[in-house]
Amino acid sequence: MVSIRAPVIAITLLTVCLLATHTSAECCRKYMKSKIPFPVIRGYSVQDHREMCPINAIIFHTKRGRKACTDPALNWVMDYVNRLGKEAQIVHMRTAKAP
Amino acid sequence: MFCLCLRQRNKNMDFSESEFGDYDPLVEPCSYQNNHRLEQVVGPYVHSIICILGFIGNSLVIVTYAFYKNSKSMTDVYLLNVAIADLLFAAVLPLIVYNELTSWSMGPVACKLLRGSYSVNLYSGMLLLACISGDRYIAIVQARHSLRLRSLPYSRVICAVVWIFAILLSVPTFYFYNWYEPSHISNTPMFDGEGTNLTNFWDIFMLGGQENQTSRTPQYVCEFRFESNSTAWSAKVAIPSTQLAVGFFLPLLIMISCYTAVIITLLRARNFQRHKAVRVVLAVVLVFIACHLPYNITLLYDTVNMFQQGECEVLDNLQVAKTATQTIAYLHCCLNPVLYAFIGVKFRNHFRRIMQDLWCLGKRCIAPRHMSTHRSVTDPARTARLVHSSPP
Repeated sequence: MVSIRAPVIAITLLTVCLLATHTSAECCRKYMKSKIPFPVIRGYSVQDHREMCPINAIIFHTKRGRKACTDPALNWVMDYVNRLGKEAQIVHMRTAKAP
Repeated sequence: MFCLCLRQRNKNMDFSESEFGDYDPLVEPCSYQNNHRLEQVVGPYVHSIICILGFIGNSLVIVTYAFYKNSKSMTDVYLLNVAIADLLFAAVLPLIVYNELTSWSMGPVACKLLRGSYSVNLYSGMLLLACISGDRYIAIVQARHSLRLRSLPYSRVICAVVWIFAILLSVPTFYFYNWYEPSHISNTPMFDGEGTNLTNFWDIFMLGGQENQTSRTPQYVCEFRFESNSTAWSAKVAIPSTQLAVGFFLPLLIMISCYTAVIITLLRARNFQRHKAVRVVLAVVLVFIACHLPYNITLLYDTVNMFQQGECEVLDNLQVAKTATQTIAYLHCCLNPVLYAFIGVKFRNHFRRIMQDLWCLGKRCIAPRHMSTHRSVTDPARTARLVHSSPP
């Protein structure tokens, strides 16, 4: 039993290593100290501390594909989030009205 | 208005990130690159070696006890249980490594079961080692009460209590570990200033619809997830704290106090084997400390500083330290069979007999065994026999 099982495990693991295309989940661990200009922002995502990451954060995604960790307690951050939401809503209404 | 600010700062009209990045670099999420590279090596290669060694060593212990131990002593019951805990640990470890490398491809049930059983085995293994130290303390230091306290049903009850306690301590782990895609990775509403994208954004964000980016493979994790804020704060500290307290410091304290008393008694005894017994006891304690202290100190530091803001490089190094020390801690599961079982003369004789029998079975020989079947090893040295640890 032992002699068969051990090599099987070893081979499985080595195969897994070779096939692994692993990208780990990132976490914001610090906030931006200053504002980002609004036009460079493409969207945002929410980091919730009730999940795997230790702090809450709003992650702004920039048009160059980079990310900025910001503090959701700050007014400008939530202002940006609302602005993104509003702009989306306006265009949605416009699109919905169009025949 | 915000455009105006930028124009004042930068002469050209292009809103490139590098321009505002010059005076205030972007704070990006930490990706733990160094830890990642280490995990890619340690995960599959080092852990598979640990797993194989642990599997072989502990299987041999269990097989020996299962077939050749007719009169089990209290120590034997403990050693058998430690071997079972370590074997389960060695079986769970490759599955966890496999899932960590394939973004938890085995799904939600495997997530809960593997994290839960990992925790059960960790607690039961550590507490059983503490029980062994207590057993040796009673056998050697409290020798007068030894017969009354070291009975076989007694030890079975203690083992059952240890396993139940380990399961109870693992309930929060089992409950709060969940299989999910983190919200900050799965939901990324994008705003490109174009109608189609915005409609899509609306769908994703307001209606909870699916992303249309089919190219992205879902990244599942098996991590903590809580319903409320307060549970998140408390459980993220309480679960590792319990692991530190009950899974390390309590057994360490018990082992150090019991084995100190054992060593003092052994050194007082007039026994030719006492030095060997002392050396064995010291080896047991030192290996335990060497394996588990570095990991638990790193875990303690990590838990204390969990909610603090920090630089990615520093946090990456902390993760590297955690991965490395955890691997050393895992090594303990393959050292236990050597330190506890194979070091004992009685156990080695049983083991030799089972190996000879297996050899004979393989060769189909009917030759009589050279080893006598009756218990030939009756040490005159009582202490050494009780310690179960006299080397040849």
